[in-house]
Amino acid sequence: MNNTFQAPTIEYGQLAPLLLVFGAAVVGVLIEAFAPRYLRKSFQVPLTFVSLLGAFALILVQVFVSGVPTAPAAMGAVAVDGPSLFIWGVILILAAVSVLLITDDDHFVPQAAAVPGSAEEDDALAEGAAHTEVYPLVLFAVGGMLLFAASNDLLMMFVALEVMSLPLYLLCGLARRRRLLSQEASVKYFLLGAFSSGFFLYGMALIYGFAGTVDLAGISRALGTVSGQDPLLLIGTALLGVGLLFKIGAAPFQAWKPDVYQGAPTPITALMASGTLVAAFGALLRVFWVALGNLDWDWRPVMWGVAILTMVLGAILAITQTDIKRMLAYSSIAHAGFLLVGVIATGDARQNADALSGILFYLLVYGITTVGAFAVVTVVRDAGGEAGHLSRWAGLGKRAPALAGVFAFFLLAFAGIPLTSGFFGKYAVFAAAATGGALPLVIVGVVSSAVAAFFYVRVIVLMFFSEPAADGPTIAVPSMGTAAVVTVAAAATVVLGVFPEPVLRLADQAASTLFIR
Amino acid sequence: MEPAEIFPHSGGVIGVSWLMIALPLLGAAILLLGGRRTDRWGHFLGVAMSLASFVVGVLTFVELLGLGEEQRRRVVELFEFIPGMVNMGLLVDPLSISFVLLITGVGSLIHIYSIGYMSHDPGRRRFFAYLNLFVAAMLLLVLADNYVGMFIGWEGVGLASYLLIGFWQHKPSAATAAQKAFIVNRVGDFGLLVAMFLIWTTFGSFAYGPVLGAAGDANVPATAIGLLLLLGACGKSAQLPLQSWLLDAMEGPTPVSALIHAATMVTAGVYLIVRSGAFFQAAPTAQLVVTIVGVATLLAGAIIGTAKDDIKKALAGSTMSQIGYMVLAAGLGPIGYAFAIAHLITHGFFKASMFLGAGSVMHAMNDEVDMRKYGGLASVMKVTWATFGLGYLAIIGFPLLSGYWTKDGIIEAAMEHSPILGWLAVIGAGLTGFYMSRVFFMTFHGKRRWAEDAHPHESPAVMTWPLILLSIGSVFGGAFLIVGNRFMTFLSPAVGAPEEPLGFHPFSVPGITTLVLVAIGAGYAWTKYGRSEVPAVAPRGSFLTTFARRDLYGDALNESLFMRPGQWLTRLAVFFDNRGVDGLVNGLAAGIGGSSGRLRRIQTGFARSYALSMLFGAAVVAGALLLVGNL
Amino acid sequence: MTTHYLVLSALLFSIGAVGVLVRRNAIVVFMCVELMLNACNLAFVTFARQHGNLDGQIIAFFVMVVAAAEVVVGLAIIVTIFRTRRSASVDDANLLKY
Repeated sequence: MNNTFQAPTIEYGQLAPLLLVFGAAVVGVLIEAFAPRYLRKSFQVPLTFVSLLGAFALILVQVFVSGVPTAPAAMGAVAVDGPSLFIWGVILILAAVSVLLITDDDHFVPQAAAVPGSAEEDDALAEGAAHTEVYPLVLFAVGGMLLFAASNDLLMMFVALEVMSLPLYLLCGLARRRRLLSQEASVKYFLLGAFSSGFFLYGMALIYGFAGTVDLAGISRALGTVSGQDPLLLIGTALLGVGLLFKIGAAPFQAWKPDVYQGAPTPITALMASGTLVAAFGALLRVFWVALGNLDWDWRPVMWGVAILTMVLGAILAITQTDIKRMLAYSSIAHAGFLLVGVIATGDARQNADALSGILFYLLVYGITTVGAFAVVTVVRDAGGEAGHLSRWAGLGKRAPALAGVFAFFLLAFAGIPLTSGFFGKYAVFAAAATGGALPLVIVGVVSSAVAAFFYVRVIVLMFFSEPAADGPTIAVPSMGTAAVVTVAAAATVVLGVFPEPVLRLADQAASTLFIR
Repeated sequence: MEPAEIFPHSGGVIGVSWLMIALPLLGAAILLLGGRRTDRWGHFLGVAMSLASFVVGVLTFVELLGLGEEQRRRVVELFEFIPGMVNMGLLVDPLSISFVLLITGVGSLIHIYSIGYMSHDPGRRRFFAYLNLFVAAMLLLVLADNYVGMFIGWEGVGLASYLLIGFWQHKPSAATAAQKAFIVNRVGDFGLLVAMFLIWTTFGSFAYGPVLGAAGDANVPATAIGLLLLLGACGKSAQLPLQSWLLDAMEGPTPVSALIHAATMVTAGVYLIVRSGAFFQAAPTAQLVVTIVGVATLLAGAIIGTAKDDIKKALAGSTMSQIGYMVLAAGLGPIGYAFAIAHLITHGFFKASMFLGAGSVMHAMNDEVDMRKYGGLASVMKVTWATFGLGYLAIIGFPLLSGYWTKDGIIEAAMEHSPILGWLAVIGAGLTGFYMSRVFFMTFHGKRRWAEDAHPHESPAVMTWPLILLSIGSVFGGAFLIVGNRFMTFLSPAVGAPEEPLGFHPFSVPGITTLVLVAIGAGYAWTKYGRSEVPAVAPRGSFLTTFARRDLYGDALNESLFMRPGQWLTRLAVFFDNRGVDGLVNGLAAGIGGSSGRLRRIQTGFARSYALSMLFGAAVVAGALLLVGNL
Repeated sequence: MTTHYLVLSALLFSIGAVGVLVRRNAIVVFMCVELMLNACNLAFVTFARQHGNLDGQIIAFFVMVVAAAEVVVGLAIIVTIFRTRRSASVDDANLLKY
């Protein structure tokens, strides 16, 4: 037996964006411990932005100076390949934009420990207290997202999953108003999330039992050596899939999404609806294409069922929603279904690259539009906070034409109307699926899009063609951050809708190398 | 003669011809984003952008003329729009440049006119922003070198038209009219979209060059594509059976009616048919349908025009009718193309001048539109009377004025093709003579039937000068284009030319008959509306008059054919699903809505039931995988 | 025989899953989730023995750390909602629905 210990090699350069975000999060925790209360926010906000934008810059350096790596880093645990780098970029942009929303103090509870309605809460309010812990929490969550999408073995993926989720569970419960709903969302998200990670972990254990390794490439190799189907492998695949599908909110694991999206503070909802979804799709693709790619004859039919159910359920249930955030949550479920259509569109390498590039582009445009839409939701308010009920949005077009117009535009982008970014996203994914032989799935997708378009248009009609309610909501003057978010999102939705070519090409390049093993 | 080859181009004014689109687009963006800050100078910016676009257009035209005749189709590559599918570029050729000059020229005049017309309107800046948006979209429509770019422009003008019809949205009629235009146009757009899908699957390209070059091949579904394109053209150009929106569109401000619903946008259908001529020449059936649609619309529009008392609606009927002539000519193939486009251009001048004249009259009469309350205005509004009169003479085909040359050309060409079409077009010309005279005499002659508080006055110079400039076009434009086949020669590299061009026969039988019929019509109108008393309230009239007043029952027909069955279906669905939701969703949606209402109950709010559904889902997924794996 | 350990692990996992479904107290529900995680640990260790490599045992350590972190967060959330509602029943948290 060879007793010499070999130190692992870590490619710090490739992992620099991750390390920067995590490092900043740790520094954020130290600030909470040592900085005086009144100074904390002025430390935390710059730190958060610098780390997110710095990580983005590091990615640019990696791509344009060092070149896209061709082998996994950190002893095969993390794969910094083309798709990873693209997804990292997307997550960091979305996170930075969401943090702009978060900087608006008005969304978070002054003192989470104070019981709602108690004297302590009033004191905390009067004192102007604020939980600046949200910033390090967000950074940990974002770091987890980055790692989740790039993990090249299942253990790393599990740790990343938890690092991403745990801060989000907490953040969900910190809404300033309607605290009962917020806490309920938090507890539901936590219990169901923990439940789903139980499935993920058990699936991982079974796959480890089958392959003897949790390395994605190793699993793929093990698949190649066996003939006949091992129940261990199949059940493991199913349970692993459950954990991942839960995170993207695919039916029948979608139940948490509407409740959590509605209850959570809206900036956090924006972060979850964009960043988490992107990261979860990155991980899902990596597991199913890299590790289980040779098993696609088995998982593909099941994924067909899940995709169809998700699209149909999301689109149909959204129709009768009366709360705007809940409606957006169901729309997010439907979009997860559309994206799953792209996941199924595998075939030869060329086909895979097409599908992957479509998914990457879709994730970017959907994420940005989503953050923009939730940003609009934050400024439509009445006495009790955000005016969530759709009836309150009636006639908004007359009160605030610009805001309502932008929101209508986001909705049209969700619906995938030509000349919005959503159109090219849907087009890229559906076209790849159609050439991949998933035509029936595309038809279901198009029909669900039509149903979905109905409820988007319903909101537009409500905003522009209904009489405003007599005591309708006020439009809060958006803070600089919120205004910037809405502007950036609207601009991106227009530009990517009219002139998508450069970004499409970037996604093509990112996807061309596929995932490294 | 076949259309000439298309050459790539860079440099020169043609190389920057995209400025024509970019400048008004920039104007619209500044005005819309700039908000109230731009209120004070916004209208000047709008005019300046439109004029700048016109100047670039003229320079492009001059540069194009400098090239050899066979060299005059230039494509300017701009950027790759959708990788592997669409390369966006601009096609500058005689056909598109003719449109460019019309759009920017007439457009600029109407911009100037609007400074005066909208001077008291609080939304003037927004109005100019929409006008600029319209100009940009219309230019993209005619300049794009592929169907996708054309379609984007097509939707853009639709959007601008929708916004401008509903500009005074506080009027419910305006809001309704805007929505009607929107919906009817979607029917046409659907045809256009399907045509584009067919084009893509057949040719694997959207660019005019490769597509139209191969349109005559044996395995091309030219008839289907042609008919679908025609459906698109019918929607945009208000041809039967999609004509019903145009009359309601008159709810918009009058300069809009002049620019969009008379001079330019509604002629986009004619552009589409002429540009896609290769498909129609390969499909005689489609061509026949085009001519039938044209003739039917030219008669229907004329009949509607005879019975309307609202001056703008009467003019709208006439617009329908004149576009019917153009569509008829466009359906005749290369022999008619030059006449179609020439008539389109002269019509742009005289119809815009009459619409603006009508606007000037309304401006003077406190926005009264009922011609029965006009009369005798000639004496108080000399300039308006003169310019409107010249437009009127041009449209009825008074010898040597614009309409005479171009409309007569269409009639001759139709006669050549099929005498039935030709004679029907002659009858249409006679009707034109009657209804246009009726409009003119009821408005400017006869006794004054003004409301008590009306004090008509001539409009300010900023409004009259555009009228004067437009009427120059309505007087001389036709002769300039037609005499010596000048326009046909110019246009032939773009659309091809007939084997032997049609000579001009001023004293042919149809020509004489047309003149006689027009004279009879005008004379009858003079005795009925110029000389004798016009009742202030419309008489009941015969069955035919009612028929015409109700837009030939176009709306009633639409209602009974499309709306009623739809409503019945809806009721049926609601009957079966009487738990339909909120009354918001109906028809098919009621089914989905109902199931949605029931399905959402599965979201019980209990975390444990969510966990159960997850466990159940996990079991199903695992079971399914095991099942598939062991197959 | 390692198979017995796997059967035990499956049983523990099922007991945990069923516990999540049938128990109302949030703390107990959460403990059932922890039971599921520990069932996984047992499976990892057993498979590590089967395959003769150490990966599974190391994974078990990671899982324990993650589970501990989860406890911290979970208890915080559950205690907060208990203080607000004076009840730790997951069925009482039922405002968000449909």
